[in-house]
Amino acid sequence: MEYRNVPTICTYCGTGCGLLLEVLDGQVVGTYPDYAHPVSEGHLCIKGWNAGAFVHHPDRLTKPLFRKGNDFVEVSWDEALERVAGELKRIRDQYGPDAIGLFGSAKATNEANYLMQKLARAVIGTNNIDHCARLCHAPSVAGLAMTFGSGAMTNSIPELENSRCILVTGSNTTEGHPIIGARIMRAKERGATLIVVDPRDIQLARFADFHLRQRPGTDVAWINGMIHVILREGLENKEFIATRTENFDALWEVVKEYPPERVEQITGIPADQLAAAARAYARAESAAIVYAMGITQHTTGTDNVVSLANLAMVTGQIGRPSTGVNPLRGQNNVQGACDVGALPNVYPGYQSVTDEKVRQKFLEAWGAAPPARAGFTVTEMVDLAGVGAIRALYIMGENPLLSDPNIHHAREALERIEFLVVQDIFLSETAQFAHVVLPAASFAETSGTFTATDRRVQLVRQAIPPIGESREDWQIICEIARRLGTPAGPYGKFDYAGTAEIMDEIAALTPIYGGISHRRLEELGFLQWPCRTPDDPGTPILHTEQFTRGLGRFQPVHYRDPAELTDKEYPFILTTGRVMFHWHTGTMTRRSPKLHKEVPEGYVEINPLDAERLQIGKSERIRLVSRRGAVETKAWITRRVAPGVVFMPFHFAEAAANVLTNAALDPVAKIPEYKVCAVRIEKITEVERPEKLVAARAGAS
Amino acid sequence: MSSPESNVQQPPYEPKIIGFLCNWCSYAGADLAGTSRLSYPPNIRIVRVQCSGRVSPELVLKAFHEGADGVIVLGCHIGDCHYIDGNHRTSKRIPMLRQLLAYAGIEPDRLRLEWVSAAEGERFATIVKEFTETVRELGPIKRVMVTG
Amino acid sequence: MLEALRKKIQEIMPQVDGVIALRRVGKGTAPHLFLPGDDLSELALSPQFPLPTPVRIIQAKYPDKRFAVVVRGCDERQLVEMAKRRQIFLDKLTMIGVACTKEQAEYCRCEMPFPKQVDIGETVEGIPQTFLDDFLAKPREERLAFWKHAFAKCIKCYGCRNICPECFCKECVLEDNLWVTSGTVPPPFPMFHLIRAMHTVGKCVACGECERTCPADIPLTILYKLLKRDVETVFHYYAGADPNEPPLMDSTIFLADMDMLHPPRR
Ligand code: SF4
Ligand code: SF4
Ligand code: FES
Repeated sequence: MEYRNVPTICTYCGTGCGLLLEVLDGQVVGTYPDYAHPVSEGHLCIKGWNAGAFVHHPDRLTKPLFRKGNDFVEVSWDEALERVAGELKRIRDQYGPDAIGLFGSAKATNEANYLMQKLARAVIGTNNIDHCARLCHAPSVAGLAMTFGSGAMTNSIPELENSRCILVTGSNTTEGHPIIGARIMRAKERGATLIVVDPRDIQLARFADFHLRQRPGTDVAWINGMIHVILREGLENKEFIATRTENFDALWEVVKEYPPERVEQITGIPADQLAAAARAYARAESAAIVYAMGITQHTTGTDNVVSLANLAMVTGQIGRPSTGVNPLRGQNNVQGACDVGALPNVYPGYQSVTDEKVRQKFLEAWGAAPPARAGFTVTEMVDLAGVGAIRALYIMGENPLLSDPNIHHAREALERIEFLVVQDIFLSETAQFAHVVLPAASFAETSGTFTATDRRVQLVRQAIPPIGESREDWQIICEIARRLGTPAGPYGKFDYAGTAEIMDEIAALTPIYGGISHRRLEELGFLQWPCRTPDDPGTPILHTEQFTRGLGRFQPVHYRDPAELTDKEYPFILTTGRVMFHWHTGTMTRRSPKLHKEVPEGYVEINPLDAERLQIGKSERIRLVSRRGAVETKAWITRRVAPGVVFMPFHFAEAAANVLTNAALDPVAKIPEYKVCAVRIEKITEVERPEKLVAARAGAS
Repeated sequence: MSSPESNVQQPPYEPKIIGFLCNWCSYAGADLAGTSRLSYPPNIRIVRVQCSGRVSPELVLKAFHEGADGVIVLGCHIGDCHYIDGNHRTSKRIPMLRQLLAYAGIEPDRLRLEWVSAAEGERFATIVKEFTETVRELGPIKRVMVTG
Repeated sequence: MLEALRKKIQEIMPQVDGVIALRRVGKGTAPHLFLPGDDLSELALSPQFPLPTPVRIIQAKYPDKRFAVVVRGCDERQLVEMAKRRQIFLDKLTMIGVACTKEQAEYCRCEMPFPKQVDIGETVEGIPQTFLDDFLAKPREERLAFWKHAFAKCIKCYGCRNICPECFCKECVLEDNLWVTSGTVPPPFPMFHLIRAMHTVGKCVACGECERTCPADIPLTILYKLLKRDVETVFHYYAGADPNEPPLMDSTIFLADMDMLHPPRR
């Protein structure tokens, strides 16, 4: 008889809410909010409330599996680990280390991700380590690094409610990051000006002072337009520009070409409203920009981010409480996975792999390090697997088959690959292609840390032992590393008493995490990086005295059309996104009954005007066709989308939006353009649906 | 959905009323009104329920939500309920729902509860007439339900 | 107070199989089952955390064991309403009553910040519910606008329902697409919230936990408390007062007086 509640961190989004897992005799029986948590303060969204619901699902993987033809057979851990190590070794010896690719996971702990990249770099000898941050916020990392010198959220979530003006764009915050959304609504209630720039009529837009509905893919234009107004009317922060930034002169050269009237033509945002919003933002005592994937998932993703940074710098709305440029990271630990180096171009703490000094440091610490050249990204690795350049992939907790921008292409690549290992809690669409499947423990069964979107490192506590024979990610990686042979440096070992010890190693090698330890986290609740020494209290606000890179750099950019424009044949703009009740590829949420019930199947939102023109009825099944593929789904007629735009959530395998989306990449951050592609809507005629005809006849007779 | 302004061009307002009538008394009462050729306004659409105690708050709220301008619940007189105390529940539930509507800012008079026996055809007709007039005065529910 | 509670638990422990109380976890508190011999150093009293739901969960699995539970006034009244509906079993439960402090009562705007039997703490007076009358003083249109605005902030987390000890139905109408359109945020006015309000009638003891966990800061208890007040004045039914009384809806109380059915309203 045992009943207790274990405080931990929600496994869904990057808000990082605190929750309590209710444990009765080793079973997770419920979830409660953590009233003492600094961010969530006793609040949770529906996903958080149901965070424990999938833990005991019968579909959980409990034994390692080998593929036999189209089936899987259960094997022992020893057999599985031997085979994985053996194959990885063989492929490395035969084709070189760069023929192997590893995927870290934005769902896994910092400790597991650190070990994953250490396995890639120190044991296998490649920089081919990446994770799905690529698919959401690589442009934030690239764009903000260029302008500010640090790719993370500049301020903290709790500050938002004291902001005097909040500009939300490309984020349906109340659905994507509900508890942050609630904070924004609170700010509004306290008198802040709320500016929402979003093509859809999202919940926050109802409370907005300005709701600017831009044509998808035209973000650089409206942001430049705002800066234009600010400079033309002399609303810029001259002192801030003079003392804290550089390259300002180049800015006007570019933005002078974006008077609001021209912007109106490009974006569809009324000129006077854009100007009024720009004034409100510039004049506010404190103004914060909040954005998410609606800004980044474009071929111009980096340009969009850079433009937002320009806007913040020109007005000096950065480096003070309740201001800043705040990318909301999607996954619970996408921030952390980046921080600890699950990226192909940087070691832990964003230390460049091409910097020979950095390489030396890790070479000494681990006893081995790959050549000083960046590895491949997830999208590239999938491509290369298709052409045989990558021979083996070891994927931890990710589902690239559903999340890759062009599913058909990804499927072909995974079918072709010589050796695929997937480590996950469920047999995901990707795992079904694996040669070896390793059962991993869920967040309820592991310990370590997650880093929330505001750089907040928080403890994840083990509530129950791993289900069945599943094992914690960090233990599996250690087993594989040890079988491959570990390097001899002082930090070369893969032998830890627990995750606290892994964090100590991270702290020793990662300056921004230098002062972070499980013991301190236990004591303080959380620490926000940079936190360099054991007595550093952490940094809630970045760039207060100076930017991370010294002076903030203006990077003026011109507007470019999205990679794919609509035409006669494909007249609609398709944009994709998230709904409140599901999570990413749905592997967990669709196994949580209460979440599944809310939105049991995929759909596409169509404006009533378009629906009427095409004679599409409520809930009618229709076909969506792009230049790459077609999916059938249900029509949801709603004014949440503007005419000419359709919206589809991306969580559903059977109506996978990413069959349609464009894999065109942002040139800098290599993010695919999920948010904009051209489609047409087709009615499904009776002739094509024999089952319906049969039913109709049966009814008639 | 149409915006409140566009109501101007629409035909004059005729209240839509949903009546939940218990099978054993009130529905028979309505029947009697019909067979006795008593006239009552055609605005009421009757939903026959086994007992007025079956009328859950969800049913009433849903009717309003779907555009009913008024909802009337009719059951057997206290003591006559076919299920003995079904209408005891009704007598607590509907008044409380009226209170709630009032607190939420919705005119409580859009909801009415009465007891009508099988023999009270005339009473039925009168109640429906009265209620229709009340709801006519209150105006369309749309004004209340349409969200900004 | 905490020391007194610890003593009391030590005293009771030999007679029971376990004590359900609050324990310090992380920076706050959470429900915990203390077993005989357990270290009580992490025992806690505040910040408050509702305990009746853990009692239900534990009793469901161990119906034959005897437990004690630390109750505030609201916890006790909730347990009584739950017992009436066979969700918990009072004959297997020993209550250790705690009277809330003045600060706590003010924070909760609690009308009755103490259980029937007080074992720990000094009883303080309840807080007058004048804010209810202030709210009712608003004209009807203003009330409507108030709730439309408030409910439009709802993110449909179901927190208000989840935290509520009186919400134990296996199938919840709020989750049913028939009554509340699934998958839309905010839920369409007024279905979700008014249904929930009606379902609290006769059960709600006004603990305020729903409002406390609401991410959208919706003042839900105004509605629930107004209804509770009516239940008390019209039906003389006091939720949680008497375990031997049937639940309001099952009771033979009825309104025959037609005037009561149509109270004059603005
Ligand atoms: S807002 Fe995000 S972190 Fe918080 S409960 Fe919801 S999914 Fe979890
Ligand atoms: S707790 Fe608040 S936000 Fe959540 S469902 Fe209830 S009213 Fe809505
Ligand atoms: S049967 Fe008529 S009210 Fe119950």
